[in-house]
Formats: sequence, C-alpha cells, structure tokens
Amino acid sequence: MLSQLIAWGGITLEVLLLLRGLKGKLAFRYPVFYAYFSFVVLQDLLSFGVYRWYHQYYPTVYWLTEFLALLFGCGVVFEIYRVGLSAFPGTARMARNALALVFAAALTFGLAQAWTDPRWWMEAATTDIEGALRAVEALAIVVLAALFLLYSIPVGKNLRGILLGYGLFVGTTVLSLEFVSGSGTAFHHFLSAAYPYFYFLSLTLWVAHLWSYAPNPVPAASVRLEREYQRMAAATHRRLQDARGYLAKAVRP
Amino acid sequence: MIGLSSALLIGGVLLLLLLLLAARGISAARGLAAKSDLPLCDDADFVTCPQEFVPKIFSRVDWEFVSQTKSPKLVKLFRRERKAVALLWVRQTSAAIQWVMHEHAVAVRGSRDLEFLTEVKLVLRYGELMLLCGALFLAIQSAGPLWLSGLAVYADALSRSIAEAQQAFAAAATPREIHTLGPV
Repeated sequence: MLSQLIAWGGITLEVLLLLRGLKGKLAFRYPVFYAYFSFVVLQDLLSFGVYRWYHQYYPTVYWLTEFLALLFGCGVVFEIYRVGLSAFPGTARMARNALALVFAAALTFGLAQAWTDPRWWMEAATTDIEGALRAVEALAIVVLAALFLLYSIPVGKNLRGILLGYGLFVGTTVLSLEFVSGSGTAFHHFLSAAYPYFYFLSLTLWVAHLWSYAPNPVPAASVRLEREYQRMAAATHRRLQDARGYLAKAVRP
Repeated sequence: MIGLSSALLIGGVLLLLLLLLAARGISAARGLAAKSDLPLCDDADFVTCPQEFVPKIFSRVDWEFVSQTKSPKLVKLFRRERKAVALLWVRQTSAAIQWVMHEHAVAVRGSRDLEFLTEVKLVLRYGELMLLCGALFLAIQSAGPLWLSGLAVYADALSRSIAEAQQAFAAAATPREIHTLGPV
C-alpha cells in the first residue's frame, strides 16, 4: 500500500516539477537539469510501455536509457558548476583542476584494474559499469559541494535544490548498485526497499526548492585581487603556521 | 569494480556534505546568511588568549600545589575547572583557525590568479590543524589537560633517550666502518 502511494506520489511530483518549471520559466534558466528530468520522465513511460507490451526488449531498453540518463546527469553536474561558480572565477578554476584530477585518478584506476584483471571488461555486468561511472559522478559532486562549503559560495535556493536532490539520488544509486551484487544480505534487502523512498525524497527536494525562481546570490563587491593573491596566500600560510606554534605550546614540556 | 568499502566511503562523504549544505541553506533561510558560515569568533586575529597563558593551562605546577592540600573536594574542583578551561581554549583556537581560513576563502574566491597548488597546501595545513585540535579535544576530554602535560614530558624523555641511544650506536658503528674501508 505504502509502495503504491510512493509510486503515485512520485509521478505526481514529477508532473508538478515539470509544470512549475515551465510556468516559472525555470526550465530556461536551468535547461540541462530540465532536459535531464524530462528525459527521466520519458524513460519511465517508455520502460513501462516496453515492460508491458514488449517484455523481451525490456532489459536492452532499460540499460540503454539508463546510460543515456547517466550522460544527461553529467550535464547536470556541469550546470551546477557553471551556474554556481560563474561569479567566482578563482573557485571555478579550483573546481576545474580538482575535477580534472578526479577524472584522471578514475581513469588511472580503471586502466590499472583492466591491466591486472583483463577479463573484467568482458565479464563485468551492466550494473558494475554503471556503478563505476556513477561513483565518478558522485566524486565530481563531492568536489563541487566541498568547494561550495570551503569557499563559502552563496548558493541560491534553486541551485541548492538541484544539488541536494541530484546528489542524494547519485549517492544512493552508488550504494544500491554496489549492494546489488550482494543480493541476499539484509542490507541489500533494506536498500532495495528504501531506494524508491530516497528517489521520492529527491523529488520532494526538487519540488520544494524549484517551486519558483530565486536568483543565485551575487557577491556584493567584486574585489580585484589579481595582484594581491600571492600576498594574501602567504599571509594566510603565516597565520596558520602561527596557529600551529600556538597549539604546540599546549603539549610542549 | 569500485568495491564495497569505496562505495560506502564515496556515498557517505557525499551524503555528509549534502547535509552540511542543507544546514547552511536552512540557516540562510532563517536570516543568518551572513553569519552561517562563520565560526564562533569575532576577532579576526587567531590569538584568543595571551600566549604565556597557554602553558599554564597544561602545567602541573598548580596541580602539585593543590594536591598538597590533601583536600579531595578541592582536587576534584580543580580538575573539573582546569579541564573546562582547556576545552574552551581548544574550541576558541579551533574557531580562530576556521576564521583565518574563512577570511582567506572569502577574499580569494573571486581572484582569477588563484593557484591550485597553493590552495591545496593551505587546505592541507588547515586540515592538519583541525585534526590536531580534534586530537587535543579528545585527549583533554578523556584524560584531562594534566595528563597531556605528563604525556609531553614522557615523549620528550623518550625522544632524548632515543637520541642518546642513536648517538651511542653511531659511536659504536664508526670504528667498524673505518675498519671496512681499509685493505682486506
């Protein structure tokens, strides 16, 4: 009964989100997110139709659309980066470098895995590949969220909603895909049962945060620090060094 | 492919960061936007109490004086108060360090010249200091500030004895090295 409620509630929230996005012109401000979301809704409808009338094609259609959704999802991460850091070129530069590092590390890890176990690519299940790609996507969101927090980047209500909802969705997907292989365990059963609830929570977060347009806060004054950056970094380093000495006093005999 | 532990780590860190972002959003909605990111410290300078005061918090001199009174109540009161002062000092210092980093982040986040490696070094140093604060907090909370001083004295004595042993070993090894350098 509750699962039926969650399923119908989810469909209602999906339709509501699309309608509000069109009415409030949010779809034009966050085009990639709304394109992704429209694709997810179409994917649901298509999967339902194929499951009902062409059941033999269902696995192929499901995984094909799932990988397309993953590609759209990468676009959502890029949109979060683009909108959130447009007024902060310094932090955007940090994000680009950190993301490049994450992708390079993921690629190296993948190649190392393939080198040590070449059969993996032949034998890997679709869930394994999706799990690995979703993990890289999750790492990219971790980098962005950490930079937003570290540099105190003001995030508007709409963007925060997209980030929270999509981050929750990707995080729970990474966990559930990893636990699929451990079918039979208690945690696997828990995750399988809880997954629709987490998606419902993501939908609720999106609807609540994207009900109407709320502009992303812009810093009051843009300080031109180009020449002063090195001086400021050196000053911060010195102050942290002083703090270290100050802390060391506590344990110095 | 990524393994269960990696998946748990990535998922856990992601959900934790999202919670922190959500908490920041809630405080912003309550009108605390200006202060939500700031630690509980008004002073931009990190020194929250005079430097000469710090060693006294962890010193055993006062403790030895109080223990000579042989009053269990006084000893208990002293321990409790000293612990509270030490914990407050760690909290203040940690808040001041957060403030330094926050000030830096706010000042440079818009700079086009921001350097990745410099920033990574600063973040690592910041992480090290926060870890140190956490370790100090746990040590004081579990064993008290006086134990910390005792531990420092013990570590100092241990490092001295290791240095002496190393010197003795080096002195004993030198003639053998000279011997091997000669004709066989």
